[in-house]
Amino acid sequence: MDAWVRFSAQSQARERLCRAAQYACCLLGHALQRHGASPELQKQIRQLEGHLSLGRKLLRLGNSADALESAKRAVHLSDVVLRFCITVSHLNRALYFACDNVLWAGKSGLAPHVDQEKWAQRSFRYYLFSLIMNLSRDAYEIRLLMEQESSACSRRLKSSGGGVPEGIEIGGSGGPGAPGGSLPQLALKLRLQVLLLARVLRGHPPLLLDVVRNACDLCIPLDKLGLWRCGPGIVGLCGLISSILSILTLIYPWLRLKP
Amino acid sequence: MDAFTRFTNQTQGRDRLFRATQYTCMLLRYLLEPKAGKEKVVMKLKELESSVSTGRKWFRLGNVVHAVQATQQSIHATDLVPRLCLTLSNLNRVIYFICDTILWVRSVGLASGINKEKWRMWAARHYYYSLLLSLVRDLYEISLKMEQIAHDRAKKKKSSFQNPPEHSVADEETEWLQSFLLLLFRSLRSHPPLLLDTVKNLGDILNPLNQLGIYKSNAGVIGLGGLISSIAGIIIVAYPQMKLKIR
Repeated sequence: MDAWVRFSAQSQARERLCRAAQYACCLLGHALQRHGASPELQKQIRQLEGHLSLGRKLLRLGNSADALESAKRAVHLSDVVLRFCITVSHLNRALYFACDNVLWAGKSGLAPHVDQEKWAQRSFRYYLFSLIMNLSRDAYEIRLLMEQESSACSRRLKSSGGGVPEGIEIGGSGGPGAPGGSLPQLALKLRLQVLLLARVLRGHPPLLLDVVRNACDLCIPLDKLGLWRCGPGIVGLCGLISSILSILTLIYPWLRLKP
Repeated sequence: MDAFTRFTNQTQGRDRLFRATQYTCMLLRYLLEPKAGKEKVVMKLKELESSVSTGRKWFRLGNVVHAVQATQQSIHATDLVPRLCLTLSNLNRVIYFICDTILWVRSVGLASGINKEKWRMWAARHYYYSLLLSLVRDLYEISLKMEQIAHDRAKKKKSSFQNPPEHSVADEETEWLQSFLLLLFRSLRSHPPLLLDTVKNLGDILNPLNQLGIYKSNAGVIGLGGLISSIAGIIIVAYPQMKLKIR
């Protein structure tokens, strides 16, 4: 009971719970439609999804300030690539929240002349840019960690006696062997890279969580902007997974990716 | 901006800000309605008020658990009167949140067979009881504080000799009233959390009093009371030392 009180005292936690419920409704609605459930039940689920969506917009009022604050903090990071990716991502998020606030004003009747379609498209565009920046940052972190891991591995191999056989040297652009590298050699290299990637991700759960979350979130704006129509089922499932993962980062703060 | 971010990261902080907005709209609507040519503004205020009120329900979902936990904490109060008042008040809050959740289920369309009016009356009644019991506890604490201050002042006066001057009965009565009010003012000033809690409860109680028909006021009075209690609530969230502790 104490854990729920502490968890629900954060406004972000409540918003994430509503998000999880909204995408669960989306998924459920799609499943009910596929299996031919009664139109009454489908209407109820759609209505609940609509209420959740509007409620979340109110819960998110004021998140622009939070995103700008995070962008201000990210400007002081030492690494140039991280500084650029994270700051631009937060700025895009701030713009996304601003568009979302305009949509709320339109839906709640304060500004009835707001073009809902136009502002929704705008908001999804900013959301997409922010996600692309997040994924770029994740890719950069993964690359850094893979380089670290591979140099640590080769140091270990060197110190355990004997030279390193040429084709097995990992993380480099290929040894001074045959310039056009044969197919089995390429396949071996690729396999080693994949193993290294798996090792890096397994050793850094926050990074893995962040990658999966951003990848799942990517489906939503891609579907809404018409770039890759995956359908409400996939959107609902991906949204639900990413909401659950972000709830986990709120419950266990050590799972959050720190710059 | 950092303080604002920290404030809005708490659910209670955000909820109290929205509550203040809701009651400001109610107050402004009451003030602007009789004026000619302000119909559009009044309609916009009404829309804002209703959408904020609907949205705030999401902040209240799950607060049953908060109220149960508060009940458990208040059972351990040392003094009998606060223990009784706070425990009963929190129990009434639990019932109020249960009624509120049922009303939410009805409003999102999940269950249509619910009698909205009946449950709304139940919710208002139990909210009213919980506020009344909180006010009883506040009055008890104020009377204790007044006794303490009067006792301290009497001790200070004993050390300095003073001949009480001659005065008539009428003068005595007004002097009693004056010293009572002064004592009340002093005890509230020396204990800001108690003042804030009393002001908050007094501001909050106007709405259920109106809903239950015990004291019918108008939207302006309710709006003003709600706004003052929301501001008191915002101060309590922004400065946690201002929260009235259970002794």
